[in-house]
Amino acid sequence: MSLRKQTPSDFLKQIIGRPVVVKLNSGVDYRGVLACLDGYMNIALEQTEEYVNGQLKNKYGDAFIRGNNGNSPSLYSCTTSKISPFVYNQGHQQVF
Amino acid sequence: MQTSRSKKQQTTNTVEEPLDLIRLSLDERIYVKMRNDRELRGRLHAYDQHLNMILGDVEETVTTIEIDEETYEEIYKSTKRNIPMLFVRGDGVVLVAPPLRVG
Repeated sequence: MSLRKQTPSDFLKQIIGRPVVVKLNSGVDYRGVLACLDGYMNIALEQTEEYVNGQLKNKYGDAFIRGNNGNSPSLYSCTTSKISPFVYNQGHQQVF
Repeated sequence: MQTSRSKKQQTTNTVEEPLDLIRLSLDERIYVKMRNDRELRGRLHAYDQHLNMILGDVEETVTTIEIDEETYEEIYKSTKRNIPMLFVRGDGVVLVAPPLRVG
């Protein structure tokens, strides 16, 4: 599992625009298109839907999720398993 | 010592960070979801990178679930209160969005 040097920035550019599932450590699920994210794992999603057991709320436009909520964005279309854990480590190391 | 935190490099096309997009909501009404089952609806006056916020004309909703001992049914209770001006500490914030439209 060799990661190239540019992988962090390349990865961030790569997954923007993809539909993602963002799972918070509270158990709530957010599905939407990834509009942007930053080095603190703050996330902006479009067309977001919130799932707790069943579907609760619809958010149209942008929804911002704070990076420290233990979320690990996983990609619908992503097949490489190394990407998910890598992003998780990045957010985990942020200390305010 | 090498820091493992990687800052996103700004390239020639300005990619807006999520915080830049919050800036577009300044002076607008927003919906904030917080830890401990709390929700806020108010007008965003100020924010920072920690998501500390100043909200005006805020309505706070606290949702609790009570379980009836006998019937085991879940009773959802929500308590609301209005606050004219409020400072929100950023570490309690989970999500920020434009006010929800009933759909």
